[in-house]
Amino acid sequence: MKCGLEIHVQLETDSKLFCDCRTNYQDTPANNNVCHVCLNQPGAKPYPTNEKALEGALKIALMLDCKIAKEITYFMRKHYNYPDLSSGYQRTSIPIGYEGDLNGVRIREVHMEEDPGQYKPDTGTVDFNRSGIPLIEIVTEPDMKSPEEARKFLKELIRVLEYSGNARGEGTMRADVNISLEGGKRVEIKNVNSIKGAYKALKFEMVRQKNLLKRGVEVTQETRAFLEAQMITVSMRLKEEAEDYRYIPDPDLPPMKSDDSQVQGIKEKMPEPPHIKTKRFMDEYHLAEEHAKVLTSELELADTYEEVVKEIEAEFAALWMRDELKRVIYYNKMTFMESEITTSQIIELLQMLKDKEITTKAGQRIIEQLPQSSKSPRSIAEEMGLVGIVNEDEVLNAAKKAIEENPTTVEDYHQGKKAAMNFLVGQVMKLTRGKAEPGNTVKILRDLLS
Amino acid sequence: MNILEKSELIKNQEFTARENVERFSEIIEKKNPQINAFLEINKEQAQKKALEIDERLKNGEEVGKLAGLVIGIKSNINVEDFTISAASPTLENYLGSYDATVVKRIKAEDGIIIGMTNMDEFAAGSSTESSYYGPTNNPAAPGLIPGGSSGGSAAAIAAGMCDLALGSDTGGSIRNPASHCGVIGFKPTYGAVSRQGLLDLAMSLDQIGPFAGDTSGIALMLESIAGLDPQECTSMEWEVPPFSNLVGENAKETLKGMKLGIVKQFQEVTDRPIVKIIEKSIDQMQEMGAEVVELSFDYIDLCLPTYYLINYVELFSATRKYDGRKYGSKIEEVCGEEVLRRIHMGSYISQKEFSGKYYKKALQARSLIRKEVTRLLKDVDLLVGPTVPKLPHKVGSTLEPLEMYAYDVLTVMANLAGIPAGSLKAGEVKGVPVGLQMQGKPLEDAKIIQAMDAFENLNK
Ligand SMILES: [Zn+2]
Repeated sequence: MKCGLEIHVQLETDSKLFCDCRTNYQDTPANNNVCHVCLNQPGAKPYPTNEKALEGALKIALMLDCKIAKEITYFMRKHYNYPDLSSGYQRTSIPIGYEGDLNGVRIREVHMEEDPGQYKPDTGTVDFNRSGIPLIEIVTEPDMKSPEEARKFLKELIRVLEYSGNARGEGTMRADVNISLEGGKRVEIKNVNSIKGAYKALKFEMVRQKNLLKRGVEVTQETRAFLEAQMITVSMRLKEEAEDYRYIPDPDLPPMKSDDSQVQGIKEKMPEPPHIKTKRFMDEYHLAEEHAKVLTSELELADTYEEVVKEIEAEFAALWMRDELKRVIYYNKMTFMESEITTSQIIELLQMLKDKEITTKAGQRIIEQLPQSSKSPRSIAEEMGLVGIVNEDEVLNAAKKAIEENPTTVEDYHQGKKAAMNFLVGQVMKLTRGKAEPGNTVKILRDLLS
Repeated sequence: MNILEKSELIKNQEFTARENVERFSEIIEKKNPQINAFLEINKEQAQKKALEIDERLKNGEEVGKLAGLVIGIKSNINVEDFTISAASPTLENYLGSYDATVVKRIKAEDGIIIGMTNMDEFAAGSSTESSYYGPTNNPAAPGLIPGGSSGGSAAAIAAGMCDLALGSDTGGSIRNPASHCGVIGFKPTYGAVSRQGLLDLAMSLDQIGPFAGDTSGIALMLESIAGLDPQECTSMEWEVPPFSNLVGENAKETLKGMKLGIVKQFQEVTDRPIVKIIEKSIDQMQEMGAEVVELSFDYIDLCLPTYYLINYVELFSATRKYDGRKYGSKIEEVCGEEVLRRIHMGSYISQKEFSGKYYKKALQARSLIRKEVTRLLKDVDLLVGPTVPKLPHKVGSTLEPLEMYAYDVLTVMANLAGIPAGSLKAGEVKGVPVGLQMQGKPLEDAKIIQAMDAFENLNK
């Protein structure tokens, strides 16, 4: 099979694309963020295009390795009749970027659009708070060969959008999914609103079309709608009924020229795209792909990692940051940025571990205290009495004592019960107030018991 | 007494704003039932505003340029709380929900808006007969059409119902009725005046402009409303000349050495009696020291088809919002036949399979016309000639669309090229006014105003 995607995501801006209304449409009563422009009242004309939206779109196009249209950019009017469209047409720009690439999937083009309002068929009302919010649309070539590949692509794309800092995430995603099987025509699926939805729609469509082809029934070119609740697709219209949008250049918006210095400025400031960063981490820090991906899952985490490795050995830092740090922020349901954990906190902690001032166990307990705390790991360690690794003799004495005091457990150990060793290690930890290295303790206990 | 002089009287409290509103209200009450220039009047609000201005003057406070002057606005320009119907049943219940930029500026200059004027439905016409509210009568030639589409504004000035009025001009809709009603109408350079709040006919051609009984009124209104509007993308950043300082003084001198271009094709398409009057006017200007240059414009036949193709497509696009959901009626179900014809034509020629053949060709033709107009204007200051090639017909006569469109042949060029153009009365044919059109280079609006001022003085 071949699959191509058209993905719409809202751009992150304070105001709408062609007026000054706010974009926080979800936190405000219906039809509160509106004016004559985004309601398209008679006589209303668009204000000049929101610069921040244009810049964001350019940045995303560049991060997707697109060529930037050197010529002028302008908006077209795409006419169609629907209750949520207050002007009867949607303003959609000609491509801003084209011929890009994301992990081997070719990006055909990137352009801007304005979001329509939200129609609620059950009440017959429209909320125009969303009307005029800038969208970016990313169109791929049909380069994905399976639902899994499409899902992987979408995950990666969302990561790029998050990195850019100029787009809202998967929550605002709307996608059109194109699929064609060998021997069949191209089918377009509309109304896909999540990565999971795209995957399920493709799965369903693949099975449906395969069955048709098997029975010798023709797969015709058509547009289908994805019903999220049922995870199925249903026919919307055939090719012959395809809408004619009667595109014309919008006479109210004179063409804009993207200037070279602006593009250059964005290029200099834009973050390295995550898929490229992942590869670089693998090469530069000799990390496994899995680990590199975890560390680049969030731009701030990746940046912090690169700061940390200036002081701490890369593999050791990676181990702690991808396992322990990720575990803690995941447990707190935060992003790394929200955890407010700083580079210097991490460096100090890892340094203490390296210098064997604290045990692994103590390190884990300290890292749990770090989210949204301005305290240094050292002061946390001191407060909790976690500083210091007891020397071998102390561990040896503690181990001897533990064996002496627990003859039944020792018996169990000799009979091969695994839990017995864990119990004895626990005893040693207790006696040393958690400062013994667990690995070393096991070794000492084994020696004593053999 | 011209408008500028009247404005001084009001500022000097020799004549009050209240008296001004009172007088016009009486005239409107008396004449409007026959003329039908105004569709809606708000006398109380006008009186209130007048009293406030008089009070401020009494207290020695500053007032704006248009203080106390009474103004009519075409019904396709948004004024809060007036019915902005565009003379169509589609919008008969639409109350202006915001002020157009020009209206904001008029209010800021203390102009008194008294009401909304009649027009062709959605400005798609040249006679004001297609108004849902019935035709407007021509005060200067009763029984004849006032021209259009801003026929109500032109008639209101001609009948002495207000000091100043605003119209919109897409292919002559200000200049045509100015010519037929014997008043002055001015279409500024495209982008010189903000269109924010103007209901669209053809967005790339529409321009708001003033009507007045004399050039000083045009100057005063233009300097009040012109200039960059940061919230309208086609509005231009330009230094607005102090138009009202340019009129009156040494008016006759300004024609000295001015180069006036006469385009022979403009004369050829025009009825003989009109040409005669125009030729006489040109002779007079020559006597005043103007130099006349004969020019040729080979694309005159291209102008109307180009204009109408663009007009159809842009009107089709602009009216998609009147889908019956927000403003009561779906436009196609209630509008008049000319608007419907244009919407259908626009829908037809903008189809994917035809747009290359028609719409894109029209846009190409337009660039060609622009280039040619630039060439025409290269070595002259102004083009002068007739505004309308024929005299107005009787209200209610049946005309084929093409006969109707022929009224616009001399005016559409200015819109296609985006240049400024004005029309003022040159004379009469059997008592029916005939307009002289002056067209200039982009943003040289002042030159036209000065020349109109000179011509006006010459006929005094
Ligand atoms: Zn808005």
